[in-house]
Order: sequence, then structure tokens, then C-alpha cells
Amino acid sequence: MALLAWILHNFWSLLVACLLALVGLRIVWRIHKYGATRDELAYILRRSPFYLLVLTFCFFAAAPFLIMFMHTFKTDGDLYRRPQPFVFRQDPTLEHLDALFNNTAYLEFIRNSVVVGIAVVIITLVLSLPAAYALARLTGRWGERAAILMFLVYLVPPTLLFIPMFRIVVLLGLKDDPMSLIVVYPSFTVPFSMWLLSGFFKAVPPELEEAALVDGYNRVEAFLRVVLPLSLPGIISTIVFTFTLTLHEFIYGLVFIADTSQRTLSVGVPTELILGDVYFWQPLLAAALIIAIPVGLAYNLFLDSLVQGFTMGAVKG
Amino acid sequence: MSRRALPAFPFDNRRVVGILFLTPALLYILLLVGFPFLLAIAFGFSDVTVGDTDLNFVGLQNYMAVWENDVFRQVFETTIRFTLISQVFILIFANILAIIFTQDFTGKWFARFIFILPWATPVSLAMIGWLWMLDTKYSPIDYLLLQTGFLGPDGILSNNRNLFWLATPDLSQISVIFVQVWRMTPLATVILMAGLSSIPTDILDQAEVDGARFMRALLQIKLPLILPIMVIALLFSMITMFGDMTVVYVLTRGGPVDYTRVLGLYSFQVGIEGGNLAQGAAISLFAFPLLLAMAIFMLRTASRAEVQ
Amino acid sequence: MSIVQVTGLRKYFDAVRAVDGVDLAIEQGEFLVILGPSGCGKTTLMRMIAGLEKPTAGKIHIGGEDVTDLPPRKRGVSMVFQSYALYPHMNVFNNIAFPLRAQRRELKFDKRAIREKVENTARLLEIDMLLDRRPRQLSGGQRQRVAIARAMVTKPAVLLLDEPLSNLDAKLRANARDELKDFQRSSDITAVFVTHDQIEAMGLGDRIVVMSEGKIQQIGSPQHIYDDPANEFVATFLGSPSMNILSSDGFRFGFRPEHFLPKTLNDNPDNARILQYYVKRVEYLGSDRLVYGYVHGHEDKLTLAKVPSNVRVSLDIEGDYEFAVHNSDIKYFDAVNGRRIEQQNLARAL
Repeated sequence: MALLAWILHNFWSLLVACLLALVGLRIVWRIHKYGATRDELAYILRRSPFYLLVLTFCFFAAAPFLIMFMHTFKTDGDLYRRPQPFVFRQDPTLEHLDALFNNTAYLEFIRNSVVVGIAVVIITLVLSLPAAYALARLTGRWGERAAILMFLVYLVPPTLLFIPMFRIVVLLGLKDDPMSLIVVYPSFTVPFSMWLLSGFFKAVPPELEEAALVDGYNRVEAFLRVVLPLSLPGIISTIVFTFTLTLHEFIYGLVFIADTSQRTLSVGVPTELILGDVYFWQPLLAAALIIAIPVGLAYNLFLDSLVQGFTMGAVKG
Repeated sequence: MSRRALPAFPFDNRRVVGILFLTPALLYILLLVGFPFLLAIAFGFSDVTVGDTDLNFVGLQNYMAVWENDVFRQVFETTIRFTLISQVFILIFANILAIIFTQDFTGKWFARFIFILPWATPVSLAMIGWLWMLDTKYSPIDYLLLQTGFLGPDGILSNNRNLFWLATPDLSQISVIFVQVWRMTPLATVILMAGLSSIPTDILDQAEVDGARFMRALLQIKLPLILPIMVIALLFSMITMFGDMTVVYVLTRGGPVDYTRVLGLYSFQVGIEGGNLAQGAAISLFAFPLLLAMAIFMLRTASRAEVQ
Repeated sequence: MSIVQVTGLRKYFDAVRAVDGVDLAIEQGEFLVILGPSGCGKTTLMRMIAGLEKPTAGKIHIGGEDVTDLPPRKRGVSMVFQSYALYPHMNVFNNIAFPLRAQRRELKFDKRAIREKVENTARLLEIDMLLDRRPRQLSGGQRQRVAIARAMVTKPAVLLLDEPLSNLDAKLRANARDELKDFQRSSDITAVFVTHDQIEAMGLGDRIVVMSEGKIQQIGSPQHIYDDPANEFVATFLGSPSMNILSSDGFRFGFRPEHFLPKTLNDNPDNARILQYYVKRVEYLGSDRLVYGYVHGHEDKLTLAKVPSNVRVSLDIEGDYEFAVHNSDIKYFDAVNGRRIEQQNLARAL
């Protein structure tokens, strides 16, 4: 806590110090490696505008998150009375984090989101794994048409469908039940993951399946035993991105579920943590940040894989 | 398939396995998207409301009512304006960032993590951050401007202590566009990165040996080669943007007055909050022909560019 | 004065020593072939000459100027890639004009000069009727010509070619080889050609550089490296079927299958080494018979003989024969490092 307080009190100077230290270390390392020649110094000078550009973009991307981080720990007095948003005049506090987890439905939102996410991932995989393989390998012209159809379906925005969907959900008696989201979300996750997966499947050399066919497997077995294990990294990244798609979804979640305890994160936080026009800012900002960081890490971890799947998926197979 | 006999080894037949594999997904999607879509059209021609769910057909009445509504006209226009303006900035920034992130540099992993955050964060949650950043009273941006003399009693921008980002007609529109660009640039960037990394290295090496400097290689080799992918990226972000209501739902609820009300939000407010399902459906259906035309046009452009 | 001078050139990719100390002088107007198995560092060497890779150590001079730290465009080289790397979105004219436009400032060309140069080069390579086409609409051979035209249009000091024939089918390849050689000779350009195909190397090169494991094994004319290999690697890498190598006390000796003939065919048996040969199998190749068998005392090693079909010697399977090799056709190698040992030095070496 003392450490956290110290960090927060000196937040901006620490941030700048860290950046400068990193830049300094890098320059020292380069000079150590290549010597302080004129060429080397000219190179460093030539590169610096590039890094400045990167830094500028990073700053714009990160600004709200930095503010979220700081404000999570601010006392009400510090936040609202003669606001100075960039410094701490009173000691940081954990009471708002505590309140977020203990006095709000935040944990329930997380639980609902995770349950919906996992269920949707399973349905999506069951449907899209074989379908993506069919698109990648088995079907000719009409498969291509099916692929284009899927792509077009992915382009139909939820704002076009939520009203009739709402009627259907009510008719099925699924209103205020996360089950409704589990049923509806595959409508956009399946086309998305089919597209991505077929890219990964195309990257598997067909000779391997042919060898399996000659070795005594039928097509289905060749798919299960050769193609699936080989595409595992791609499948994992598909799972990650499918899960986060469900985490992002807002409109269906807002329309189908009105019951606080059944709401998902993306809907629950901005609607339930605001009482009328009373905003509990610190818990709100903390709630957003706590989700943003892990999802951001997951995205970054699987980004190369996504790019690869996207590239292969775009290649006509 | 019904009249023809199954092949002797059905699981070895490409066609059989292909149909078997593809059908469940196709059926699910057609049921889940196709049926509601038809229902939406039917709703548009009916007088269905949340209270009275009987479908009585009233012809074009809803569409006429919507079209003659001044608010709708403004909403429609706002949606198109937001979409077009934001795309320009998204494309510019995404191209720059894609070029940056397909190069090697120190700290790339961390920089990429930071720049992905706006896209990775669920939109509604990221908007909470912006809601605070653009707050009428406590906005940290206003604070900075106040400290630097842009605001306050002798301020250059305004004599007030605040700019009221989300409460004035012009600024609220600018804010919404800015936030949309902020959150959608990473996706477009990632798509463009896929395009850039699929250019064969031989071609880039060749350009280098041929004497092309950075700008020439970029303008004459790289950008023309990723043009089809750029069109796809544009299509993706335009459609996402056109159908989005989350940003304005959290930030402004369409206000001040109607200045930031977009189609999706309007249809939600009329259809769900106002209970008039029929008119809500009619409103959102107005978007469809436009989206479809856009998609077809862009896919055509992309595939034509590829054939060359 | 050689046009390209490479000294002590090294390139390490982490632990992999792709090029490990290469010294090489390339003469003005010669056709130099760099030959070696895949992964021997030949392409890395060429990419360093082009400026696409930065050497770990060593210097490169082109036309007397130190170009080690210069970018490709400042080196006066051009390159033809294995894939041809034609810009798919430009027509043939624009492809060929690209280097001229890119170096317009340095070379001071105006629009008319560019058009003229492109058309002249295209005429030279007989592709002047294809100028409006896109690369996609061209055949493999045409693409290759476009790539060469684009490389030639700036009149570079050195033309670098990275296996440019390997994407052509066998029939086209022989033809393309002839044309390339004629073209190089008539334009008097210095060409450096990388390949793993020894027939291509023998047919094209004025001189051949044989590389293995990042090092130059031997440099010489095709005939020289074939008849007089510097070491066991060069001896076995060139020639098909490759040289027979047999072990003896403390050294190894080798002879080519076409020099290993029945004793009765040998005109000078006194000056030849006689070996007892057990024939296991005979393959008829039309002009030759390829004989597989074992030399007496070397039963661990399959030894081949290539006997012309027109000599009337019957060779029966499972028969024992006396075969002979001219002493001058036998090459001796150090058993430890594989280096060639002259016969007269053999005794001293042992």
C-alpha cells in the first residue's frame, strides 16, 4: 500500500523517468555494441523522430487508461473538490476497489460474461470447425458462395436485427436469461471464426491429409487426427477472439436482459453502476480498467496469429 | 442427395463430408440471421408494439412516417456524416500505424499492447473512460487547457472553465467522431498489417535494389499492392461504425438535442425504450439497402483490384 | 583491377555462420557462377554484395569504392530474383522503367530518355511487344526476360542473378541458359549467378566459385574445378554420378566413374592402377552403361563405373573383372581434412 501510494503520488515523474531510462539504456547498449562512431550517433538521431511518432500514438491510445488507473485510487474529496486530475493531494485509497467488488454486482457481471463466453465458444467451435474445414478444402464453387454469404452475414449489424430478435427471445421465454445471449451470439461469432479458421486450415499442407487417407483414415478421421492438431495454435487464437467478441457485445445484452443480476459486463457496468445521474466514478473507471488490461494482453499475444489467419483467409483457396 | 444413393464410402467422399460439415453452421446462421431479418421486414410493415404483439399489416405506413419525420432525417444524415468523416481519419492513421508496426523496433511489443488497448477494451467500458475525459465539469482535458491558458477568464478558446465537450452541438459531434476514430483505428491497422506482411519480401528487396527510397517504395509498391485489403478494412470499419450505437449510448444518449443521435440508437430508443417495435424495425431497415450497396461496391472494387 | 572485391566477409545469423570468411575478386566482364548446395551461404553472399544484408564483418568494394555501408541504390548493382519479383500492379513498361524513375535524380533522366531506354532494352530482349501487359499475363520465360530487362536498363556495374532459371521447366531452361550467356557476352556486363545446379554452373560460368558451409572451397574455370578439385567436397559435388572415393592407409583416393574402365580398354596399362572389380548390377543409359559393383578390398563402398555402350566388352552380373584407372586420373585426399594431396607428396604426407 505504501509502495502504491508512493507510485501514485509520483505517477507522472515515474512514467517519464521510466521512459527516459529505457531510451537511455537502449542508446547506451547500442553504443556499447557498435561504438560511439559518427555513423552510430547519426543513426540514433535519424531514428528518434520515428520513436517520437510511436510515443505520440501510444500516448493518445493510452491516455484514458492512465486516467482510469489514477482515478481508481482517488478519494472523493480529491476527485471532486477543486479537481486536479493529474496529482494526488490526498493519500490514495483502496475503498473504491473494495466497494466495486463487495457492494456492486461487478462479480456477478464477470460471472455472467464468463459463462456466456464459454458457452458461446463451445457452440461456435462445434459449428465452425467442420464448416471452416469444408470451406478450406472440401467444397468447390458452392462452398465459395457459402463463404461469401457468411461474410455478408457478418456484415449485417446487430442494430438491424435486435428488434425481431427481441421478439423471438420473448416468445421463447428467454428474456432476462443469459441463455438468450448464448443462443444469439453465435450469429456473429460463427461467421467470424469460420473465416479465421478456414485461413488456418488452408495453411496445413494438403499432402499431410492425403498421406493420412492413404494410411487408412477416412476424411473425417483425417480432419480430426491430422488437421485439428496441426492447427491448434490457430484454434486457440480463434477461441480467444471469439470469447472477446462476446465480451464486447453490447446491444443484444442491453435489449434482452433487464435484470441486474443477469447482466453481462459490457452492459452491466455502464448501466448498473450509474444510479440515475449519480456516477460512481472511481469504481466505474476501475471496472473498465480491470477488464481492459487482460483483454489487451490477450489480443497482443495472439495478434500475430490473427494476422496470419486473416491473410490466409483472404487468399482464395 | 435424396434420390441418389449414398456413395459406397460416404466419409471418404468430398461432397458428402463437405455438406455434412457445412450444413449445421449454415442452418444455424440462416435461422438466426435470416429469420429475424425477414421478421424485421414484416415488422416494418405492421403495427406491432411491445404491448400489442399481434401483427396487423399496415403497408408502407411506418416507412412513410419515418421518412417524413424530421428527427429521422437528421439522424440519418448524422450517421452518414459520422461514418464518412471518421473513415478518412481511420484510414490515414491505420496506414501510418500499420507501416510502423510491420517494422522492427525496440519496445515494439509494449507499444503494440498500448495501441491495441482501445480496440481490445469492450466498447462500452472504454466509453466510461471517455465519459470522464470529456466530463462537463471534471474533464482532465479541460484541466490541462485551463492550466495552459486556453480556458479560464482570459482563455483563448473560451472564457469558461470548461469546454462542455459532450454538451455543445459542434463539440459533441467532434468528440464522438474522435472517440470512434480512437477505438476503430487499431482494427483497421491490424487488417492493413495483414496486407503488408503478405507482400513477398522479394518484391520489397527488388524495389530496394532498383533504387527506391522509403517513400517511393511505400507509394508505388506497398500501398498499391495492399489496395484490395485497404478496401476490405474500410468496409469493415464503415459497417461497424454505421451499425454502432454503443458509443453514443454511453457518451451522450444522442444529445445534446439530436446532434449525436445515430440510426442504431434511434431505432433502439423508438423500438425498445419507446415500445414501438414496428417503427423501430422500419428505422433500422432504412440502413440496410445502403449497407448492402456499400458492401457490394467495395467487394467488387477489392476483387477487381486483385484481378489486375 | 577487379570490379567487385570482397574481403574477409562474414555474416552470422545468431549462431548460424551463413558466410564465414569469404575473399573474392570478380573481374570486369566475366560471368561468375557461385555454386553450392542449399544452405551453403551463396545467396547470403550475393545479398551482401547487393546491399540487402549488412555483413557481420568484412568489406565489399565495387568499382574501387568501399560500398560496405552503402544502401543498394548507391552501389550500381541490379538483381534478378528467383521469383523474378515483378511488380504485379505495373505493366511491363512500368516495371522496366521503375529503376530508372527511382534513380532519376542520380542519373538525370527525363521522361523521353526513360521511354527510349526502356524500349531499347525491351527490343534487345525481344519483349518490346509485351510492354502493355501485366506480369500475370506473361509466360515464365517472358517474365524472366522482363526481370532481366529491368535489371539491365540502368546499365549496372554488376548484374546479380539468384537462381533465375529454376522457375522454368527443363526444356525452356536450356534455351534460356544459352540466351543469357549470349546476352551477357554481347553486352559485356559483369554477371554473378547463384545456383545449386552444377550443369547450369558448368554451362554458364567463365569461372565457378564452389561454396560449402559458408566458405569458398575452390575458384576456377569449369574444367579446372572438374579435373583438378581442391578437396574431396569439390570432387564429389561436381560430376554425375559423383566421384568414387575409397579409403586407403591414412589417405583416401578417388576416381570418376567415366575413368574407371575394363583393363582391356586401357591403352597404357603400365601407367594405370589395376583394381579387381565385382559387378553387382548394370544399368543401360543408352550411350553409356552404368556399372555398380565393389572393388576388391573395399567391399564396404559401392563403386560405379561408366562404360561407353559402343565398346564391345561384356559385363555380366556377379562376374569378377579387372578394371583400370590412369594414374593421372586418381586424386588423393587427406583422410582427416579432405584436402587434395599431389601424388608425389603422398609419401611425405603419410
